[in-house]
Amino acid sequence: MIDKYKLDKVLMKVEKPARYIGMEQNSIKKDLSKAAVKFVFSFPDVYEVGMSHLGMHILYNLINKEADMVCERVFAPWVDMEEQMRSEKLPLFTLESKEEVRNFDFLGFTLQYEMSYTNILNILDLSGIPILSRDRKEGDTIVVAGGPCAYNPEPLWQFIDIFVIGEGEEITLELLDLYKEHKKEGFGRKAFLVDAARRIQGVYVPSLYTEIYNDDGTVRGRMKLIDDIPEIIEKRMIRDLDTMFSPESMIVPYLETVHDRVSMEIFRGCTHGCRFCQAGMIYRPIREKSVDRLLELSEKLVESTGYETISLSSLSSCDYSQLQMLVSSLLEKHSDKKVGVSLPSLRLNSVSMEVLKEIEKVRKSGLTFAPEAGSQRLRDVINKGVSEEDLETAVTMAFKEGWSRVKLYFMIGLPTETDEDVMGIKRLTYLVKDLFFNRPKEERIGNFQVTASASCFVPKPFTPFQWHGQATEEEFRSRIKLVKDSIRDNKVTFNYHDPKTSYLEAVVARGDRKVSDAILKAWENGCRFDGWSEHLKYDIWLAAFEAAGIDGSFYANRQRSLDEIFPWDFISPGPSKSYLLREYKKALEGDTTRDCRLGCTGCGISDCAMWGVFN
Amino acid sequence: MIIRVRFTKTGYLKFLSHLDLVRLFTRSFSRSGIPVKFTEGFNPHPKFSIGNPLSLGIESTAEYMEIEFAEDIRPEKVMVSLNTVLPEGIKVTEAVVSEGTASLTSLIRWSHYEIRLWVKNEADRTTLADKLKGWDDLDSVLIDKKKKKGKNKISVRVDIKPLIGNLQFKDFDQDGFAVLAALLKTGEEGNLKPSDLAEALETHLSLGIDLEMTQIKRLDAFVEKDSKIEKPI
Repeated sequence: MIDKYKLDKVLMKVEKPARYIGMEQNSIKKDLSKAAVKFVFSFPDVYEVGMSHLGMHILYNLINKEADMVCERVFAPWVDMEEQMRSEKLPLFTLESKEEVRNFDFLGFTLQYEMSYTNILNILDLSGIPILSRDRKEGDTIVVAGGPCAYNPEPLWQFIDIFVIGEGEEITLELLDLYKEHKKEGFGRKAFLVDAARRIQGVYVPSLYTEIYNDDGTVRGRMKLIDDIPEIIEKRMIRDLDTMFSPESMIVPYLETVHDRVSMEIFRGCTHGCRFCQAGMIYRPIREKSVDRLLELSEKLVESTGYETISLSSLSSCDYSQLQMLVSSLLEKHSDKKVGVSLPSLRLNSVSMEVLKEIEKVRKSGLTFAPEAGSQRLRDVINKGVSEEDLETAVTMAFKEGWSRVKLYFMIGLPTETDEDVMGIKRLTYLVKDLFFNRPKEERIGNFQVTASASCFVPKPFTPFQWHGQATEEEFRSRIKLVKDSIRDNKVTFNYHDPKTSYLEAVVARGDRKVSDAILKAWENGCRFDGWSEHLKYDIWLAAFEAAGIDGSFYANRQRSLDEIFPWDFISPGPSKSYLLREYKKALEGDTTRDCRLGCTGCGISDCAMWGVFN
Repeated sequence: MIIRVRFTKTGYLKFLSHLDLVRLFTRSFSRSGIPVKFTEGFNPHPKFSIGNPLSLGIESTAEYMEIEFAEDIRPEKVMVSLNTVLPEGIKVTEAVVSEGTASLTSLIRWSHYEIRLWVKNEADRTTLADKLKGWDDLDSVLIDKKKKKGKNKISVRVDIKPLIGNLQFKDFDQDGFAVLAALLKTGEEGNLKPSDLAEALETHLSLGIDLEMTQIKRLDAFVEKDSKIEKPI
């Protein structure tokens, strides 16, 4: 345990000290001395952000359910806390036992976005765990990482001992069980890593491989350093979501977090095939939880948390095959407790509007839609199966039902984009405004406001756009300016993301092993919380690229040749590279691909049919 | 019907802000199923008020709160129901039916604190008791209090002596802290923060204490009734 009075002294000086105290309802504190495996789960961002992540609640309860295992939590200390901890020489500690992180067997990070990577190094450093995997000795904490960004693990290869690729419910326990087994007979770090790589599907131990480059800096290939480890790492996936572990309780934070509600996962995967979306590719195929199972879980979750809203979470919740039945059953089941239901992601179709009518009877807050691109041509390129008519129908209906604030999400810098496409953002936004004001005056309810938000497109691995060179900062700026200058209306707001962050994100997202040196340099020179615009130190990042001897534009802006070997090609997420390439070519032609519920589109998942038929 | 309760806020939960505490109680009311009255309107919330909120980082064994109920309820039932859902560190220790009409906050006049001071070196430890005796000889003790005036922060010089009802050195505790008991003015008609008192002690008596290590706990709060002070419950 860390020094209680030192911690006290430090907590008196930081903002929101409740970030560091734990003790929340449904948090679990076990006797560490009796545990065979001690695991720390870390979301490498500030507490409020990390606590809103559903995966954390799943793995926390999954591990703690095992009698001889313990899972505790640690988040990235905010900058003020870091300063205090360093000056007081207070090591990073877990929220539950206030025990030093380095006294745990495992430290597991979830990789949700690239701009959190410097926080990982900072957490290791504050814990007193060697930053580099090769410097860790027998007895040092084993550093594990998983989550969507682990599908391109190479930019973190020096820092992480074990990557787990794919869904974590099974592989986590397999890994911890293997550790227990090894501990029984004189534990050896290297032997454990090798055994995990050999025996557990989805485990990638980067130190057991090398990456070889061509003269132009692209990847030539990979080599295994030992025998009997897989060349291709197959992702893990749970087949039956009804029988898999699902949490029956969630930690309820004292601090206000992003989601103050029950988050209930209703399915995994997505069938739309939007070409920019990594999640839509790597989480295939679609698998649903049954209505009965969800009703059962909802009862336990509401009971254990006391929350009054259940959020139905997934990549595209309106796609749930029995949405209407689920929503009405949930409302009926919890009617005595005034429990409401919310849908975080909406598609522009009539079914979702009908459901929306039912669930948002009281509070008419803002509505959010994501057309993603301003013109039909460009929406076809990205395969976003939404038409202007869908938007019109949905928005008209929303206004009729009393909504008056609308948010529209767009991306700038999509492949083949022209000025005309970009100006479509303005056109659609004004269309929404006209739909409101063209209604008879007495039918206009509320104070109308429409907000268009544009993010700068970042091409991601395992998407059809993985070959695409990202727009440069100048291109982003001129396109943003085009839209911004054309909007002059106090009912219309236009927001946009900083192209600098998107550039850095693009470098890291499609990075190779060389990029990890830049991440190390950036952290050494003070970068952390890079996803927070007020903390992003862009110049230090650029200097770090230079110091690491890499050219950022090689990773971000370079158009890849169609036969290039990518640093992430050794990971198999399900859909094949040839499918992604076919989709890329179709995109450039403006050809769409149907939703694969309507018929298989041949993405390369061999035994997909067993997950049932949807129509 | 209004129920007045006394509750604790101890351990790490002293780091909950007043707002977090309000949220915790709001959730706890709903989880415990007691029939708390809600405000009318668009965004209903339970009707309750916490008297004289503590500063962040101060523990307490006696905080007071008044809760309004839609129907009659036995105070013991309120206490038991809330305690089953409240976290370790925040527990209701007593509940009574409140007859008063004025809000609790406006009534609380005094707080009784335990102040634990960390004396840095051994020499200062032995002389602490003697030095503290010098406090009574001081006619006035002026400190600069920061106040908000409109948008600006201004500094006001105040004599804190009249704000102190009683100050006593008890002893050193197991962990080596010097334990003081202090009765200090609280509320709208004069207020002295215990941390300000600790700082003034160091400034005027040179006790050799590490102010950042100071541990403070509120032991009770008092209302003034017919110029007598008494506990709210």
